[in-house]
Amino acid sequence: MSSPDRLQNANPQLYGRTSEREVTPEELNEDVEDAIDAREIFDLVRSINDPEHPLTLEELNVIEQSRITVDEDNNHVSVEFTPTIPHCSMATLIGLSIRVKLLRALPTRFKVDVHITPGTHQSEHAVNKQLADKERVAAALENQHLLEVVNQCLSTRN
Amino acid sequence: MASKFSGVLQLTDLDDFITPSQECIKPVKVEKTAGEVGKIKIHNDGSYVQVAQTGEEVKLQKAKITLNDCLACSGCITSAEAVLITQQSQDELYRVLQQNTQAAQDGETSQEKLVVISISPQSRTSLAARYNLSSLETARKLTGFFKQLGAHYVFDTTFTRDFSLQESQREFVQRFQGNDASAPLPMLASACPGWICYAEKTHGEYVLPYISTTKSPQQVMGSLVKDHFSKQQGKPPDQIYHVTVMPCFDKKLEASREDFYSDVYRTRDVDCVITSGEVEAMLEKEGISLVDVTPADLDTMFSSTSGAELLSHSGGGSGGYLEHIFRYAARELFGQDVQSVNYKTLRNKDFKEVTLEVEGKVVLKFALAYGFRNIQNMVQKIKRGKSPYHFVEVMACPSGCLNGGGQVRIGDKEADKDLLTRAEELYSALPVRTPEENPLLESLYSEWLSGRDNEKARRMLHTSYHPVEKMTNALAIKW
Amino acid sequence: MCSRLEAVAVLEGHQDRAWTVAWNPTGTVLASSGGDKTIRLWGREGDSWVCKTVLEDSHTRTIRSVCWSPCGTYLASGSFDATTCIWDRKSGDYECSATLEGHENEVKCVAWSPSGQLIATCSRDKSVWIWEVSEDEDYECASVLSLHTQDVKHVTWHPHKEILASASYDDTIKLYREADDDWDCLATMEGHDSTVWGVCFDQSGERLASCSEDKTLKIWQEYLPGNEAGIQTQGSDPTWKCVCTLSGYHKRTVYDVKWCHQTGLIATAAGDDCIRVFQEDESSPDRRNQPQFSLTATAEQAHSQDVNCVAWNPKEPGLLASCSDDGVVKIWRYKEE
Repeated sequence: MSSPDRLQNANPQLYGRTSEREVTPEELNEDVEDAIDAREIFDLVRSINDPEHPLTLEELNVIEQSRITVDEDNNHVSVEFTPTIPHCSMATLIGLSIRVKLLRALPTRFKVDVHITPGTHQSEHAVNKQLADKERVAAALENQHLLEVVNQCLSTRN
Repeated sequence: MASKFSGVLQLTDLDDFITPSQECIKPVKVEKTAGEVGKIKIHNDGSYVQVAQTGEEVKLQKAKITLNDCLACSGCITSAEAVLITQQSQDELYRVLQQNTQAAQDGETSQEKLVVISISPQSRTSLAARYNLSSLETARKLTGFFKQLGAHYVFDTTFTRDFSLQESQREFVQRFQGNDASAPLPMLASACPGWICYAEKTHGEYVLPYISTTKSPQQVMGSLVKDHFSKQQGKPPDQIYHVTVMPCFDKKLEASREDFYSDVYRTRDVDCVITSGEVEAMLEKEGISLVDVTPADLDTMFSSTSGAELLSHSGGGSGGYLEHIFRYAARELFGQDVQSVNYKTLRNKDFKEVTLEVEGKVVLKFALAYGFRNIQNMVQKIKRGKSPYHFVEVMACPSGCLNGGGQVRIGDKEADKDLLTRAEELYSALPVRTPEENPLLESLYSEWLSGRDNEKARRMLHTSYHPVEKMTNALAIKW
Repeated sequence: MCSRLEAVAVLEGHQDRAWTVAWNPTGTVLASSGGDKTIRLWGREGDSWVCKTVLEDSHTRTIRSVCWSPCGTYLASGSFDATTCIWDRKSGDYECSATLEGHENEVKCVAWSPSGQLIATCSRDKSVWIWEVSEDEDYECASVLSLHTQDVKHVTWHPHKEILASASYDDTIKLYREADDDWDCLATMEGHDSTVWGVCFDQSGERLASCSEDKTLKIWQEYLPGNEAGIQTQGSDPTWKCVCTLSGYHKRTVYDVKWCHQTGLIATAAGDDCIRVFQEDESSPDRRNQPQFSLTATAEQAHSQDVNCVAWNPKEPGLLASCSDDGVVKIWRYKEE
């Protein structure tokens, strides 16, 4: 863990965790094809760690289920995330982690858009543009140092 | 905002047009008192306040990034630019002059700083071209202008270029004769700070050993003023405010290097660098044209003059390093007296070659490489061990220092081209002399430096370079 | 819509996303490159297309772009590893004979000039470099153009003049030509609302097509000084003006656009997995100043993921290659019906 005096937002507000999702009998039935819904996407990204706090994106309220939309018919997933502070320099890194998590977990037919919740970051447009640029995302993931940090964010903590 | 740095520094990671407050990714140490807890609130004006448990609000200090933080960081350079604007500007000069006036009014003369201005010949020429004056008139009027503002001395860095040239000549011959792996050939000129900064940031250990250790005229003037002149005047170095007037913005970076900072006196050899364009802005602020400024006599102590005439060096507007080293090396190493130096233009006008043949064999091969593209080809050749040269006069700006990024610009392409042509004509019209012909040089070597090649001479006239490590802090990587 | 794209070949082999396809000048070999750091060369064998060669071990990261020299003997590849490699076939096999270094980070595109004397590269470092090919096959930097304010995505040459076009993340397109010993910008085209991913001249060189993250395709027309339309120009430089915007067709980012120099057809590659072909309406009243284009064919789900690049065969009209994030390279035939 990094030393606390380097944190941008040393004392963020904390939020409780949602309960685990109940598994329905249909989902256990292998013969029924599950549709992917917002709750499922939420479950994929809620446990992503914040790059500078020992907390998850859910606990920091960066990710909320209500800000996730899934359009199964058009293979489209959209996730809005809310940085804890409007000048958070970690916003691109958080967005990248969300993007990578979904790239790895979802079937390739899905088109994924990751955005900052409108009005919650001073460089909203720039961050959104960078996250939408798959070429830059691909190049970023070839950078070992960056990949390590992303993987740390995506690793489940004990 | 258009960057004012030379082209080489405007590349890429080196220049991201970001301001320190917003996007600088350099981790800053924040002094924090133990036991403080509370919330941080952001006010509408963008200020941050810490709310203690008692409800008391304390405005938090903004993290300040110094120019040295910037230089030591491989992150970007434009933060440096924003920092420069506050730390090295004509406003800072005005502030010091104002303090002096105040101290004089209060009768506290001991608080008054001795203000020394050292003007580069390229800046003088740029202003001469701008105001349609002769070089000498410009020198006298600039002296008058700065003295009216409250400066005590106005010097000319042509004078300290004699040291730079002579030290470069000797260094080259030593490199040529020696087999010191730490001082290989080709020797690369060191006077251009844009080039030095680029080399340190992107080519590190590959290229730095090739760069001449000789200080630039600006920094030799810094040593001379803050060491020798300071003792002569009986003023400690921190009581002298030394300003240089330079043709390029990158010189501000050079003056800010840690190598040129005295820990003992907490002062820099050059406290502030203002560009030719900023002098023009000062004149405008004073509401006067240089043409109408009352001239003053030149301070001949550290100026290159002969009677009533200004003197210069042969070999072009970037200092003439190639020519001086070439002639000296031809004489010292091969007993050849070079009458005229013939430049052969290669790929473009900013890439030229000079060779010395003895008995049909090429014994010396020198080049001029100005501008980023030519620097690039030269660096790649050196990296691949394919450089055919013994010395390269490297300058970051196309056309060299007379075309520096800090020179006076009108803003119209054609008009600026004419201005440059006029500056080149004015510059080359000056009579020249070699460093050896400077009568004061020998006495300064003995009185100030107690000779050559000793520890003090090395400290005063030479410097070193430091590779900047690539950033590996992933939280700070730009992608 | 009255035509269609018929799949001729499905070429599998890339182990990661395929970024680029490029035909050699005679149209007999198709080169493709991608995230697996390889270049694959595909050729005809009887009726089918097969992978003839795999070039590897020269780049350490994704090979983003490949292009052929006009003589067909050399291949240039630009990589995220910041270098550009020149491959030549002199000894029979392709070998990397030179490496062009200088960009600070990812090279995004490489383009060989029609004369064969110049190579242009561009990078996330915001610069466009022009390299000169010297007689001894050395490659020297002739110019570094840092005029874009962001990542430069694409470079392409005018079909017969030494004019270069570049497209950028800064939403603009720039044109350059040599003047006074160095290269200089001669026009900047503003109009797209987001990253311009691709730009391509038509056969005459008087028009450009560009595609963008804003999901549109734009057609730009060159207007010389003293033009009849009364479009203002500066000095002796032409003005480039957008004369047509095609929107509403692409559902996601348009990653590539290619204007066929034989048929005049425009093909696009997009993030909605489709390839589309547009044709100019010859009957429109003012073709020069108000040209109209219509969509004549769409290959829906041309690939199972984003289509990254399309390339018209230079000799066989209507033959089109494409590649995708799904790692597959495909060859299509445009059929008018």
